[in-house]
Amino acid sequence: MNPSKLTVVLSQAQGQHPVRRHLEENLASALLLEHGIDVSVIPHLYDLTEDHTGMLFLRSITGDIVVLSWLYPRAAHWMLDRHGVKGKPGEARLAGGEEEEEEEEEVGPASEDTEAIGDEEKPKPIEAADVPDRYIYTLDLRQQDRPEPYLEEIRRIAAECLGRRKNTLSEGHSASRAGEMKPRGFIARESIAGPAASRGNGRPGSEQLLATPARRRWYPVIDFSRCTNCMECIDFCLFGVYGVDAKDRILVENPDNCKKGCPACSRVCPEHAIIFPEYKTPAIAGANLGSISGLKIDLTRFFGGDDALSLAAKERDRELVRDGRSAVGLTAGIPKRQGARNKEGPRDELDQLMDKLDKLDL
Amino acid sequence: MSECLTFQMGKYEARFPADLFYTRNHMWMRTEGRRLVFGLTAYAVRLLKDVYFLDWQTSAPVEVERGQEIGSIESSKALSSIFAPVQGTLLRFNDDLLSDPSAISIDPYGAGWLFEMEGDASVALRPEDYVKFLDAGWEATQRALKKQVQGS
Repeated sequence: MNPSKLTVVLSQAQGQHPVRRHLEENLASALLLEHGIDVSVIPHLYDLTEDHTGMLFLRSITGDIVVLSWLYPRAAHWMLDRHGVKGKPGEARLAGGEEEEEEEEEVGPASEDTEAIGDEEKPKPIEAADVPDRYIYTLDLRQQDRPEPYLEEIRRIAAECLGRRKNTLSEGHSASRAGEMKPRGFIARESIAGPAASRGNGRPGSEQLLATPARRRWYPVIDFSRCTNCMECIDFCLFGVYGVDAKDRILVENPDNCKKGCPACSRVCPEHAIIFPEYKTPAIAGANLGSISGLKIDLTRFFGGDDALSLAAKERDRELVRDGRSAVGLTAGIPKRQGARNKEGPRDELDQLMDKLDKLDL
Repeated sequence: MSECLTFQMGKYEARFPADLFYTRNHMWMRTEGRRLVFGLTAYAVRLLKDVYFLDWQTSAPVEVERGQEIGSIESSKALSSIFAPVQGTLLRFNDDLLSDPSAISIDPYGAGWLFEMEGDASVALRPEDYVKFLDAGWEATQRALKKQVQGS
């Protein structure tokens, strides 16, 4: 792999959506002509299993990456992280994007001040582990319907990455860094996307890269810039989805134990750190609500007659019963936090709140 | 409209006609013989504001459980699922709203009615109890909304 090149990976939409395919194809062919960019196409990121060629390829990339997908940038970032494709979140500046000021809090470890709203005892996020010194930019293909804005942004990112590498090189410590950052499961790119890479219909990437995943998947993705390792999800989920790693950090251990369509654990998470990228409401699907045009406040928990916890318990019961087990309602794995922690925090005037809501109008 | 109870949402005064019943998912209920007519309360409408999209997941008539998801609603800045307020038979939706749901915001207790049901109305609250219910949950609601607005 040429280290001076930026790798762009385009993750396709599920199914055969003609409008989406069209944008993907236009983008891929335009990117092929771009200087200094390697482009590859893989299936929908969320559906890839550990051993899918597309995932192996992603892990084999050692430099900066731009991932284009039909997912919220935050969802895509932490999905990659879970699969061992780790890096610092690059700040995308796509017009109509949700990044802008919000993204900064994920960049550095010094993010304490972003939540200094008066409650000192708030547990801190545990942040991603073992992040190599490279950047991953995740762009949401739903933000623009033409390829041009993406191309423009990718060119800007390419320049930004090049500039950063030059700086690092001149500081003279990049070589040793890069060595220890080699991702696990390294496979030379040539062995995957070799001779077959540029055949066929003008789209890049081999057929192996694009092999259709066996099925659609459904599992939670943890945002470690929010997760405080409180373990409430592991207590709540009765299907064995969660586990802990060697360092006792929460982990989505058995993603395929998860119940399709069920977002219950994300409602229970006190930090809103659990993402279900394919869930219908943006907050659960990984949107950064509030900093965005066009994205909505989710009032479901107010209009359901249920609080989030009861709703979650109901959703969990439905899946338990489907599995031939007994419903447990609110008797198992219910967070102790309810009440206690929520009493903290400032009291806000509704007017301020409503002003903020009103500002979301565009 | 006759007498109203009120609930202060910041500067906004939400009004609740005294001759209606209310449910905890912010619907009002009017009884017409055995039929129950439901719509969204002024409280719900204030949170949503300008409703511009409404969709039902089911066609009437249909048996529903209380709390079952039956549709979704969207305004320029908010969205929500809609849940059956009581257990029973959902007889008829207000079809006029499908093409133009703005009546929900403009005339919530009149032309903005959502659907008719027949069923167990025992869970409905009297207006004074609904206002008490709003009052009790108000702090938490504001906090939860604020959290969403801040995207945290």
